Amino acid sequence: MLSEKYEVARDDYANAGRVSSQVKQYLSSLGVSSDVLRRIAVACYEAEINMIIHAWGGAINLNVTDDGVIQLIFKDVGPGITDLEKALTPGWSTASEEARSFGFGAGMGLVNIKRVSDEFDIVSSEEGTTLTIGFKVS
Amino acid sequence: MMKSVITYTLDSCRKCLKCLKFCPTGAITLDNGRVFISDEKCINCGKCVEACHNQGIQAKGSTLIDIKNYDYTVCIVPSSLIGHCKTRQEVEEMFYAIKELGFDEVVDMTDIEGQIHDEVRKYSLYSNNACNISSFCPVVNKLIQVKYPMLLQNIIPINYPSEVAAKRIRKIHKDKENLGIFNCCECESKLSLAKYPYGNTSYEVDHALSIVDIFPLIRANMGKGRLKLSLCKEGLQSCNPYMMLVDENDLVADGFEKIINVLEHAEFGLLKDFKLLELFPCFNGCIGGRLLWGSSYLIKSNFFALIDGDEKRISNISFDELYNDKITKEVKDDRTIQEKLQFFAKVNAKLDKLPGYDCTACGLPSCRVMAEEIVNGNKTLSDCKILVRKEV
Repeated sequence: MLSEKYEVARDDYANAGRVSSQVKQYLSSLGVSSDVLRRIAVACYEAEINMIIHAWGGAINLNVTDDGVIQLIFKDVGPGITDLEKALTPGWSTASEEARSFGFGAGMGLVNIKRVSDEFDIVSSEEGTTLTIGFKVS
Repeated sequence: MMKSVITYTLDSCRKCLKCLKFCPTGAITLDNGRVFISDEKCINCGKCVEACHNQGIQAKGSTLIDIKNYDYTVCIVPSSLIGHCKTRQEVEEMFYAIKELGFDEVVDMTDIEGQIHDEVRKYSLYSNNACNISSFCPVVNKLIQVKYPMLLQNIIPINYPSEVAAKRIRKIHKDKENLGIFNCCECESKLSLAKYPYGNTSYEVDHALSIVDIFPLIRANMGKGRLKLSLCKEGLQSCNPYMMLVDENDLVADGFEKIINVLEHAEFGLLKDFKLLELFPCFNGCIGGRLLWGSSYLIKSNFFALIDGDEKRISNISFDELYNDKITKEVKDDRTIQEKLQFFAKVNAKLDKLPGYDCTACGLPSCRVMAEEIVNGNKTLSDCKILVRKEV
């Protein structure tokens, strides 16, 4: 089992995507096949951006288990998602004008993450949100 | 497999390791004072040639002597070369001068380049996917295979312009036995397209000539005669990102750093608004090819003057002949995930002991590669110049 931990800071638009690049680089050196890596890259980027624009930063954990499951846990400190069902509806967004001006906040983030991942779990409260996604590698 | 056309000349190498540092794919290693270039990793981008101050690394094409091996020879001239001429008269003189080198026929491929650019745009427009990547440049295709395999499926399966042109020439001259096709190349990567171009199982171009090698000979023949020809405007435009026809669906980028940036963004799915990515590793597109001697800005201004004349329409080759489904393939890794994990853990353990400067002093492109070599048993920690220094 391999584990890596990365930090994401609140409103840190300048470094948006930095962790995703590191995760991609790490898994690519491991030798994860490109079809899986493609899905991980898309999901990880979306989730990382979510932490920056919606939450107040947090941590990303990357685990690779011995039976070949790549797990990404995005644990943020933040306002939480009041209505999870709505958040999983395509096009629904609460992103600020500032975030939208950067091209984020189209309301497809969680929808896309769920679509590309093999395992998807989200828990949210007022203290923060934890998103766990998994990908199977053969 | 695409063979590296970049070779190492022992005499002038000063072991300065600049080539190792500049190689974007880590294809170069130095062992026992000798530079090795990996055919598997080399993308023929020419960064090492640019970095080397001692002419220790060069790109070699075929020579004109090869003409003697054929009964009938045809030379293909790409659009970018034409930009060296200021007037139509000069172009016709240049074509005549090239023919005088010993070819039976000299043909321009402006019409084919024009059609390929047009087909690529049509393909991407009717495709359901975003981010189709144009496939005319072997450097981009191989860079994607080596470093961005996630995007391999985005490469448009249309063959290289020179291969399409050569195929057409073979069709026209199917009665001729022992036909030799030569391509005049403006960059290192195009040199690699003769005989087994990347992704292809067969080849149509027999020999690639480096334009810098034959230019003095061409110049000596200039002004001796003219070869009547007409040029295709779209073809000339297609080799410069600032002249080509584009719309809001297209993303055009030139320069190696820029295309790396585009590929990184594409991998994260950020470029979904674009149907087509046209990527030129050379600054200013193909007219910025390293083997061309003039300024690419001047070539561009010459193009404006040249396209203002009698025009040849883009060619009308059927899609079957342009198509090449074999152009992209992923390098297979047969190890199971458990084997990969084990190896990766061992490499990371060694990597922790290495300084992590990626200084290349050991002759390997990065500390990670060094760690892998240690795990493979080819190197030991004492081969690290920094660690040895610290012990002293």
